[in-house]
Order: sequence, then structure tokens, then C-alpha cells
Amino acid sequence: MRYRRPGLDVATHVILIIGALIFMLPVLLALMASTHTLPSLLSGGLALLPGSEGLDHYIQLLTQPAGGVAVPTWRLMLNSLIMALGIAVGKLTISIIAAYAIVFFRFRFRMLCFWLIFVTLMLPVEVRIVPTYGVVADLGLLNSYPGLILPLIASATATFLFRQFFLTLPPELLEAARLDGAGPWRFFRDILLPLSKTNMAALFVIMFIYGWNQYLWPLLAASDADYATLVMSLRRLTIAQDGVPPWQLATTMTVLALLPPVAVIVLMQRWFVKGLVDSEK
Amino acid sequence: MSTLTLERLNKTYGGNVQAVRGVDLDIADGELIVVVGPSGCGKSTLLRLIAGLEEISDGELCIDGQRVNDSEPAGRDIAMVFQNYALYPHMSVYDNMAYSLKNRRTPKEEIRRRVTETARLLAIDDLLERRPRQLSGGQRQRVAMGRAVVRQPKVFLFDEPLSNLDASLRVQMRQEIRRLQKRLGVTSVYVTHDQVEAMTLADRLVVMNGGRIEQIGTPMTLFNQPATRFVAGFIGSPAMNFIDLAHAEQTPWLPASTPGGALTAGIRPEHLQLVTAGSGDLPGRIEMVEPLGSESLVHVRLGEHDPLLVVRLSGDELPAAEQPTGVAINGPVHLFDSDGRRLP
Repeated sequence: MRYRRPGLDVATHVILIIGALIFMLPVLLALMASTHTLPSLLSGGLALLPGSEGLDHYIQLLTQPAGGVAVPTWRLMLNSLIMALGIAVGKLTISIIAAYAIVFFRFRFRMLCFWLIFVTLMLPVEVRIVPTYGVVADLGLLNSYPGLILPLIASATATFLFRQFFLTLPPELLEAARLDGAGPWRFFRDILLPLSKTNMAALFVIMFIYGWNQYLWPLLAASDADYATLVMSLRRLTIAQDGVPPWQLATTMTVLALLPPVAVIVLMQRWFVKGLVDSEK
Repeated sequence: MSTLTLERLNKTYGGNVQAVRGVDLDIADGELIVVVGPSGCGKSTLLRLIAGLEEISDGELCIDGQRVNDSEPAGRDIAMVFQNYALYPHMSVYDNMAYSLKNRRTPKEEIRRRVTETARLLAIDDLLERRPRQLSGGQRQRVAMGRAVVRQPKVFLFDEPLSNLDASLRVQMRQEIRRLQKRLGVTSVYVTHDQVEAMTLADRLVVMNGGRIEQIGTPMTLFNQPATRFVAGFIGSPAMNFIDLAHAEQTPWLPASTPGGALTAGIRPEHLQLVTAGSGDLPGRIEMVEPLGSESLVHVRLGEHDPLLVVRLSGDELPAAEQPTGVAINGPVHLFDSDGRRLP
């Protein structure tokens, strides 16, 4: 329902602008602070205006190690990107195949499988982190990309969402495909995948950000600096030997950590919204 | 060019629900069989058994004399038109029609030739690039037909294909399906619950009830000589009037040769006539008049507990309601025994 009243328009816009400002403020503070020198930050309180350093801190961080971080930040970004992409793509692949099996095949213990997957929704990584670490260590996967990605690659949420989407498809679609000579694989490739495109895009965005923001698992699995991710290194950067954390670099790295997820959202926004609201089947 | 034979076909769900019971049916090459019945009578299940979408519990299904009980749907060389069309929403009309041919590894040139030919036949050749959602209901229906025709299958199956169309379009498509089926000469099974559709389309009509076949025959046979009370009541609109003979007081209007054991008499509305009160075969009272323009339906109450009798009059006869009247019989009276079977 939409109301057409000028007064209401103004009010909603004021509320929206206030909301946007509240969300923007910390980002803005980080951005401004990243252009100040450390002394200016420590003496000047909140930095609301650009400082004197320009992009110097960005160049410094991207090209050389800093603070408690042993590799330049481009390497951290690359590691994070590989992990986030691996997790997002892996989650999508595994969950769409699992949902396909659960919805379109009749086999023994089908519902048991579904409920087992569903129950793991309630078990976050933190709960199973010790045994997971044990398994990954035994497999010799600590400090490797597979070690970072594999334990986070299955998603009950995505499986569930795909299942719900598949259930909304008219069963005649499968029957028509069967009569048209499409086997299980062709039906999946020619009909199910194209119809799931928008859902996959929306889930990809969500899963990419989930992967990018992982903190606890990489902290354990990537003790080697070569596999350190950006988010877990943020804290390490602020460990300072002489007592004063390099806040100007920490804020710089924070801004850098924001960029890839923002880029993914901006690029996929149209698909993302479509996938969440689209009901055209 | 194919024949279809169903022998004692049974479908049982979950061990005790019998959806189809002992169906025997021989379908000749090029014949259009319409299966009709109320919802839940098993007609759609029967179609799905033929298509291979449901497993046959018992009995034999043969196409061209070959047993196909255990063949995959695609292996039976059957095309089906669904009630909701089931077009692939992400494919163009062309791809929808070409999909089955692609899956059979038909050469590209051959696919193009057959799809364009079929599209021209169905007058959808200017829609080939469109997506299903950009089409109207009638156009989608045509595409669904096209998808079936383009394969040149042995058998067409239609599952209530016209029930999502509006009335005028339905009449038009009905004629087109009939014309197309005769032109292509493909053996067809058509399921519907609409008896007008059934009567107009069928070479032979199959009436189903409770999973069983009640009667098989040409539309006129079923109309004139219904084998059971159910068929008599189902075929014809408005439905046949039934008079319970056990409770009727006087039945001088029954033919003298009426065999004993007759329990129900059936008379079609068009075989009844209104006459002045006191004369005719049955006395009654006009309860309601429905003017339909080309005809008028008059509901006459015989006794207090008797059902209403429907009399069909021409459109310009509009008797007043709430009046005593006489009803005269001027057509055949169908008699049924206690099991609902027709008595000769």
C-alpha cells in the first residue's frame, strides 16, 4: 500500500536520511582517520575532516608489512578473496545439488537427510570448532586454502532456501521434461539451473560477505602469515610493541576490508534484489 | 500410426487406495478417445499411467502391440499437453518446441525445419522469439500443442488442456484440436471433465467413475443408450431427470413392457413438455423458471419429497412460476435397476 501525501513524503525522507547518516558515520570516521597522521589522531579527537596524508597510508599498507602483520595487505586481500569466493561458490554448488536430491528424487531416508541438514542450521562454526580443527589438522590442511575453505563450505541455510524454491516449481515442469527426453542431469542443467539464477545471485552475495567476514576460523587455521586473511589481521595490526597502536593504519585497513564486499553488492545489486523479491516462475 | 491397448490396468496407491481399477481399452490407430468423468474418478491417473509418469500396479499397457509398462516416459514416444501448459519459462517459444528434438540429437537443420513448419501450422510462427510469460493464455496453449506436435509422437495425451481458457477461446481451440488431430492422424487420448468438450471432440467416449470405466462408445450411443444410471446423469446438459419408482404413487406413463425390478426411470429434460394442469402424465407445480435466451429451463416439483424435474422449453416459452401444471412425456424413458444398470 502506498500513500500519497506530501507531509508523509518529507517525514519518511527525514527518517531515511537520519538512518543513512547513522550508518555512514563510522565508515566516514574510518575514512577520514585513515588520512591523518597518528599524532594528529591522538591529539585531535574525532577526525571529521580529511587529514594531511592523502592516500599515503593506503600505499604503505598495500606495499609493505606493518605492525604485527608480516605481509603486505594486498596479500591479505587476495587470501580473503580466495577464501570468500571459495566459500560462496562451494556453498552454492553443494547446497543446490543437495536440494535437487532432496526435492526431486525418492530414496530411502530422504526426509532423514533433510532433517539432518536442517538440524545443522542450529550448529554454528563456533560450536564445532575444536573437532573441526582436529580433523583439518589431521588432514594436513592447516595453512592452506582448502583448509580455510572446506570446513565452511556446506550450508544448511542455502540448501533450505533452494529446497523451498524448488518446491514452488510446478511438478508438471519435471513431467514435461521427462516426456521431452530429459534425464536427471539434463533437467538440472537445462531447466533447474537457469530458473535458479536470481536465487543463486542473491545467495552468492550473502555467502560472499559471510566468507569475507570470517574471523575465528582463519585465526585458528592460518597461523602462517602467507595464508592470513584481512579480517583476522586487523586485530594483529593493532598489537604494538611500543604501546601505541597505529590507529591511522588500522582505519586504513578497515576501509580496505570494506571495499570488496561493497563492490560485490554494487555489482550484483540488481540480481540480488530480484532474487529476493522475484516470484516470476 | 499407432494403436494403444490397455489391459486390466490397475493403479493402487499406498496399498489400499485404488485410483484405477481393471481398465480395458483398445484404441485404434488415429482415433481420438475422450475420457470424461467427475473429479477424482481416476481419469487423470489413467492418462499418467499411459504417459509413464506413474507406475502401473497391475495389467498391461501396449503401444503398437509392444508392452511398455516398464519404459521410461521418453522411451514410449508419447507427447502430452498439460492443463497448465508446463512451458519452460526461461526458454523462448522456439527452444520450448525444440527441446525434445535436441534431447534426441536431431540435427540442427532438421530441428529448425520441423519447428518452423509446426509453428506455421499452429499460427505461432511470429511468436518464436518470445518467452512464455509474454504470451496470452491462448497463445501458450498453442505453444504447448506445438511442443507436442513437433515431435511427431506415436500418441498424443491431453490433460484438460482447455480448462484454463475463457469460454469463447475454448470453443475455438476445441475445433482446432479436432482439426489438427484429424489432419495429423495421431492416436490421441484426451481427458476432460467438461462433457460438451467430450461430446464434440470424441470419436469414442469413455466415461469413468470411481476408477472404473462405466461405458465406452460413440458420443451419440452414450447419449441415447446410457449403460448405467451414472452415464445417463453425466452425459447431457441439463442432466437427465430421475424418478424413483419405488416411491412413485402411480406410473401409468411407464411402457407396458417395463420389466420387473426397474427402480429408476430417467427422462431427458428435452423429452418433457408442460401441459395444462390436470392433463399429461405427471401433475406438478412450477417452482422456478430459468430463461437462458435460446431455451428456458422450468423446474417442476412433483410431490413434496420428490426431486425437482427439469423441463426444457424453447426460449420464447416462459410460463409463470408458482402455478400448478401437468407434465407430458414425449420421448424415451430409460430404466435402471437397483445397481444402476440399464434395463433393455
